[in-house]
Parts: sequence; structure tokens; C-alpha cells
Amino acid sequence: MTAAGVKGPSLAGFTPAGLAGVALAAAVMITPLLWTVGLSLKPNFELMRDTSSVFGPPYTLENYRAILANSNVFRWVFNSTVVSLSTTFGVLALSSLAGYAFARLEFRGRRALFVAVLLGLAIPEQAVIIARHQMFSALHLHNTYPGLILPGLSAPFGVFLMTQYFRGIPVELDEAALLDGASHFTIFWKVLLPLTLPAQATLGIFTFLASWNDYWWPLISATRSSMFTLTVGVASSQMNFAQTSGLGYLMAQAVFASVPILIVYALFQQHIVRAVAGAATR
Amino acid sequence: MSAGDGYRGRGGLVGYLFAGPYLVAYGALLVYPLLAGMALSLHKADLFGGREFVAFENYRRLVSDTVFRQAVGNTLYFTLLTVPALTVISLALALALNKAGRLAAFFRGVFFSSSVLSVTIVTLIWRFVLTPDGGLIANGLKAAGRAPIPFLSDPHLALPGIALTTVWWCLGLPMMLFLAGLQQIPGELYEAAALDGTSAWRTFWRITLPLIGRTLLVVVLIESVMQFQLFGQSQIMTQGGPNGASRPIVLFIYEVAFRRWDVGYAASASEVLFALILLASALQYAATRERRR
Amino acid sequence: MSSLELTNISKRFGAVSVFQGLSLTIAAGEFVAFLGPSGCGKSTLLRIIAGLERADSGEIRLGDQRIDTLAPGARGVAMVFQHYALYPHMTVRENIAFGLRNGGAPKAEIAERVAEAARVLEIGPLLDKKPGTLSGGERQRVAIGRAIVKQPRLFLFDEPLANLDAALRTRTRLELAQLRRRVRATMIMVTHDQVEAMTLADRVVVMNQGEIQQVGTPMQIYDRPANTFVAGFVGSPRMTLAPVGLVPGDARFATVRLGDGSQVSTRVPRADLPSEGLLLGLRPECVRLGPPRPGEPTAQVEFIERLGDRTLVYVKLGDGTAVTAEDKGASQAQVGQTVGLRLAAAAAHLFGPDGRGHHAAGRAG
Repeated sequence: MTAAGVKGPSLAGFTPAGLAGVALAAAVMITPLLWTVGLSLKPNFELMRDTSSVFGPPYTLENYRAILANSNVFRWVFNSTVVSLSTTFGVLALSSLAGYAFARLEFRGRRALFVAVLLGLAIPEQAVIIARHQMFSALHLHNTYPGLILPGLSAPFGVFLMTQYFRGIPVELDEAALLDGASHFTIFWKVLLPLTLPAQATLGIFTFLASWNDYWWPLISATRSSMFTLTVGVASSQMNFAQTSGLGYLMAQAVFASVPILIVYALFQQHIVRAVAGAATR
Repeated sequence: MSAGDGYRGRGGLVGYLFAGPYLVAYGALLVYPLLAGMALSLHKADLFGGREFVAFENYRRLVSDTVFRQAVGNTLYFTLLTVPALTVISLALALALNKAGRLAAFFRGVFFSSSVLSVTIVTLIWRFVLTPDGGLIANGLKAAGRAPIPFLSDPHLALPGIALTTVWWCLGLPMMLFLAGLQQIPGELYEAAALDGTSAWRTFWRITLPLIGRTLLVVVLIESVMQFQLFGQSQIMTQGGPNGASRPIVLFIYEVAFRRWDVGYAASASEVLFALILLASALQYAATRERRR
Repeated sequence: MSSLELTNISKRFGAVSVFQGLSLTIAAGEFVAFLGPSGCGKSTLLRIIAGLERADSGEIRLGDQRIDTLAPGARGVAMVFQHYALYPHMTVRENIAFGLRNGGAPKAEIAERVAEAARVLEIGPLLDKKPGTLSGGERQRVAIGRAIVKQPRLFLFDEPLANLDAALRTRTRLELAQLRRRVRATMIMVTHDQVEAMTLADRVVVMNQGEIQQVGTPMQIYDRPANTFVAGFVGSPRMTLAPVGLVPGDARFATVRLGDGSQVSTRVPRADLPSEGLLLGLRPECVRLGPPRPGEPTAQVEFIERLGDRTLVYVKLGDGTAVTAEDKGASQAQVGQTVGLRLAAAAAHLFGPDGRGHHAAGRAG
């Protein structure tokens, strides 16, 4: 990033007032997270009496031990992992194949079909979810993995992104490969696909994130606790929450449930920012 | 070099083989449900297959349904609460953090981090920040000798409470969009302004803001459409209460469709929402084009 | 090594006709250049031969095999692309081996042929590098390596030198000439640069607006241009084309009168010349300067270009006809000066109103 604006002598380019403001905002931003972590480290009986006890010891890992010992949380993490990874690989595969076709191949109706796919970008989930729910009921797909995975595969964003990316690769490469005796599949698989890795990373991370955090569809499709994804599971345990079942335990669950996605975020921070911003400004 | 030449898939079969899998998914899982939903909105239908054609009766019902009208009002109110706040705060953060260096990068990471959390974790955190019964804010007020505020159980405070949660959750994306916009401004403009002795305030109003006008419109458009679709926060934190004071349109659709199983009626409400979103997008799109001319 | 025969090739892009019934034969082992301005169809023709475009009608035979119905990879044709089109994610070795692998050649044979190609082109040390790390000249060699490793019956070069800087272009031109001697195959090169075409090719096919204007050796093209287009396109600076009238008479060779009245006695047979609408064609080296002399055209110097070894002098005749002349390096000519023109009339060309060229008898290229 290039620096634009007033350059202070020290403070990494911040003015003292600017730094103080940003630090204050960051503190406000982080406080709810610290509060949650703090609560999760307190014995439940103490929190029932007074939550301000969080500001001093004793602290305990008892709530985390309880999660590890029992709980559907592992099952939910597993479900979320299966669903998100399958959706991600499915979207990458379908979008890459279709993107190659729209960018490079000739077939009847190509233009019209591509426009139709682009129009799909404007369809909000609410406009399809009821009929889709009925359709999946008729096919007995609720409370199954395919039932949770399939809807994500229809999102047009990946096709749009991959088509744009394939269009940016020089056609000469395809032609050189044709003269090298490569089939369409070889051209796709060995020549062009390796060159789309940056787009694959962007699309993959975006899809994974969206799928992992999806709420509405798994909420209505997975009604059995054993098929909950993590988002739905965490929602169900907080809706069933009564003070007696343990605020500390619930908060430990929140922390535990955030860990996977925060690890993903830490690993792929740059990609995630680019992916989300790119998807938003399509 | 034109299209239509032999090697690009004679007769088109190869093209269909490659595009086919996605097109099937698109047709079956997006286009078909969209059309089926439109048809559904013209029927009185329940989940168990009972179906009767009622033409526009569902839409007529919507117009006179006070619950739905309240939900529309709530949705608009919520959008007004969140979009300006998100825009202003994220722009301020972007301006402050548009710098090289690890410290600025660290802060950018902090402000974006909440965006990767799912709605259920965010609501879980914020319920116990907002609750008057030993929540974070209540504790702070208590320390200051003030009475706790019953955010989520007061009809006047439920939506603002949800809005606060939402602003905390959604800040990252508009901030990143603004940062991307600010990166496009050539540094020389600022150097020239500095040489002219322009004040920071004036520089912002006369240089920065006009040059990120397009980003600003994009942010407002994206955030409006996103906040218009408020669902999870209300569904989890307040179940739309108290007394429907925090029920947005999407929650109305959800309740009618999946709690009362009046799916035809719910479908008509979702078509109305679809139309409102399209209208908002079209208006903003037109505004953007007008500006660029 | 095979001959190539194009018969009656037609091609349209939408409403625009590129070729209409084009035919051409190239002998086995010949190096032919397609020369013409951009948009003349030379690249399209190359791509039709390669199979990257399909002709609407016509037939292409390579040796005794009809290839226009075959897939590009099955034609026994290799092509060096203008921008090289090396696969960026593969090493040089993988780039060169890619075609052989697609053809299912055994591993040992692939390794052997890659090594042989690397030896011929002296790119052994580059084999494990990625194309992104190579210089322009090195990429060019790898692209050629990828072509020769397939031992094709026909090589196609699309503007092979266009992407190189001037110094490298001259060197690569020499290398291509040497390669040509080492690799025994039929070769076609597309270029808009007449120097490349003239120096490298056995025969040049001059094209304009989808039509073959002339096919011939470089010297035939230069000495006996078939029409005004070839005359103007080949040779730098351009041949002077001045309108003239035929002087009546019954001599064997035609004498013509320039616009200012001066007469030029050519060695072009009068027999089948049209009587009107003639153009006189004079290469700059056939027009020398001297003091004005009666009976010879005089002209005024408009503009002077000093090239060191020679000087180009642009002059105007009394009636305004523009003529390009050549003078020695240390030319005394000055702008505005009136000079006499010494025409090498025996080397003059005449062009009819249809553009067709008529040349001095007894001179063959």
C-alpha cells in the first residue's frame, strides 16, 4: 500500500491523534470478543451470581473440558467441514468447466446462456428458498449432505469470475496446445487450469467462507441435530439457553466455534479480503 | 480471428459438455425454484401439497396485513439505522488506515476480523453484551452508577440493538472497499495540496471525497441490499419481538413459510422483497451512471 | 519434408470475404514468405493451413495427404507463434515435450528428442527454467525448439521477428537462415517486413486484400513486380510511379513522355502495351542526379535524406510529378536547387491502367 496523506515523523505514519482514535476504535471492536473469552473462562455458578466476576480470578477451563467431553459441537464442526469443502470443490469444478466453455468454446446459445447466468447474480436467496425447500422435500434431500451441498453449486458468481479469468489468458496458448495435439480436455486441464490458480484461490476461499457461515438454508433443511452445521448448532443451543444451563459453557462454545474460521482467516487474510471485496463489487 | 471456427468445438457438443454440469445446477437449483416460487405466490398452498390457484389474492392479503406492513417498516428503519453508520465509520477507518506499515495492517486485520464470523456466533456474543441482566454494557453502566438498558426487550431499542450488533459485524467489507478506492487516488494530488497549504479537512472534502464518489455509491448500494435482507440477527436475538418491533421482511417470510406453513403467502412476500431489492439496485445503478456522465 | 498444395481456398468472416478461390503450391523443402500489409489475409491463410481457422471451401494437401479435414494436432504441422505462446507454468523441457506427450511417445524417446532439439538450438542450460525467466531471444529459441522436436513436415512462423529489438532481430534472422539449412522441412513465414521476406525466403508470396499479387523469388519480385501494388510495397524507398503518355512510333521498345514533356526510351516491348493510362516505374537507384542537360528531365529538390552511404533526394518535375532519386553519400544537392535527372531508362517499368506490370525484355530475375 502506498502512503497517502500526512506523514508523521514516527508512529508508523500515524498522527498522535489519529493513532489514539484508531486504537480506541480497535479497543471497542475487540472488547466484545474479550468479554466472550472472559465469560468462557469462568465457572458457571459464579456467572449466575454476578457476571462482573469476570474481571478477576478464579478462571477455569472447565467449560472447554465440558465441550470436549460431550456435546454435539464436534459433530457440527464435522458437518460444516464436509458441507463447506464439498461445496467449495463443487463450485470450483463447475465454475472452471463452465468458465472455460463460455470463454473459449463455441456452442449454440452460448451468449444467451451467459447473459442468463449473469442475470442470476441479481436473484436473492429469499426468492428461491421456499420453492427449493419444497423441491428438496419431494426428493427427500432434507437432513442429508447432498441437501446441504447442492444449493451452493448453483451460485453464478464463480462462473462469472472464471469466465472473466479465462478470457484474460492469451488464446495463443490454446492454439499452441492444439497444434501440440492436445484435446479440449487436455488444454483445459494441463494448459489453462494451472494458470487460473489465483482465481481458484479467490473463489475457493470466498465459497468456503460463505458456505461455512451460511445460516438460512441449513436452518430449514437440516432439522435433525445430528445434521446441523456449526452455525445452526450454535444458534440452536443459544435459543434453548436458559440461565441454568451455563453462560460460561455457552460462551466457550462461541469461542470454540469461532476458532476454525479464525484460523482460516489468519492463514488466508490477504486472499479473503480480496475475495470478499471482489465478490461485492462484481 | 473470429468465433465459429471448427476447433472451438464442432457442432457445440464439447461446449455443452463443459458448461453442462453448471447449467444443470443453475437451471434446477436456481431458475426452477425462482419460477416455481413465482407460481407458488399465486396459489394458496401448504407444505403438504394442498394447492389452490388464487391469482393475486396473496398479494391483496399482504397489502392489508399489518404484520407485513410493520415488517416492511422495520426493514426500512433498520436499513436507515445501519447503512449511514456503516458508511461513515468505515470511511473514517479507511482514511485512518490507508497507510503502509505493519501497524496499519494489523488494525485493518482487527476491523475486518468480525466479518468472517457467522451470524450465530456474532449474535451469541452480542446477546451477552447487550443483555441488561449482567451484560457487558450493563456492567459498564452499573460501574458508572446508571441503570441497565433493556436493549432487546424494549420495542424502541430492539432494532437499534440489532443495528449496533450489525455495524460491529459488517464494518470490514465497506472499509476494505473504501481502502481499495483510496488506493486509486494518485499521491501527487495530496503532495500538490500540501504544497498549496490546503488544510486536512479541505483536502478531504475537495480531493478525497470527490475522487472516491463511485466507491461511495457502490458501498451504499451493496450495504443497502445486504441490510435489506436482515434475518439471522433478528431471528436469533429477538425472534422479531417484542411485539413484532424487530421483525424484518425476511423473518416474516421465514415465519409464514416454515412456522405457519402458509407457503403460497410467504412466496408472495418474497416476490415483493425481490422486487424491492431489484428496484433499489436499479435506482442506485441509474444514479451511478448519471454521476459518471 | 512435403510439398503443400492449396486449392481454391475461400474464407469469409461474416459478410467480409477474405479469400475467394485462392490456390498456391509450395514445393517440398521450400522456404516461402507470405508478405503483405496488415489485414491482407496472410495470417488467416497461415492459420487455415495450421487448422486454427477453417476454410469455407477448398482443399489443402500436404505431401499426398489431404489435411484440411484433420485436427490441427494431426496435420504434421508445427507453428512458432508471434508471441511464442510458451506455457508459462511449464519448464522449457516440459514445454518442448508437451506435444510429444500428447502424441503418446515413449518416455525415452521424448527425452532423446528434447535433448537433440536443445543441442541444435543451444538451449540445454535453459531446460529447467520457466519461460518467465527467459529473455526474448531465448523464448524465441524455445518456441522454435517446441516446433522442431515434433519433426513436422511443415513449419509455420507467424511474424517470428516482430517482437525482437532491432539488434536481436538481425541476429535472429541469421540464425533462422542457419536453422533452415539444418532442419530439412518445408517452411512458411508470415511477415509484413520485406527485408525478412527477401533475405530468408526462397520464394515470396505478396498478398493484398486477400489476393495473391505475385509469387516469385525475391529478385523476381523486386525486378519484375507483377503490378503497381507489388512495385510500391516491395523496395524501400518506394518505386516512383509517374503517369506517362506513349510516344507514337513503330520501334520495338516503347518510348514514353513524362508530364513535363521529357521523353524516356524504355526497353519495354511496345507490342502488347495498352496505349493509354500508363505509369512509368523507376526505382530510386535508377534515377541519378546531375547538372541539367537538354533532352533530359529537370527537377527541383524538395527534400533530402542522408543515410550515410547514400542520399535519397525527393524532387519534383516541372509539372509537379514527384520522383525519388538516389545520390552518393556525400551528395551536394540542396533543397530548392534545380537538378537534371539521369534516368537508367533500360531498367524502367511500365504499368498499364489495370495495374499490370510490363518489364524490360531480356531481364529475368
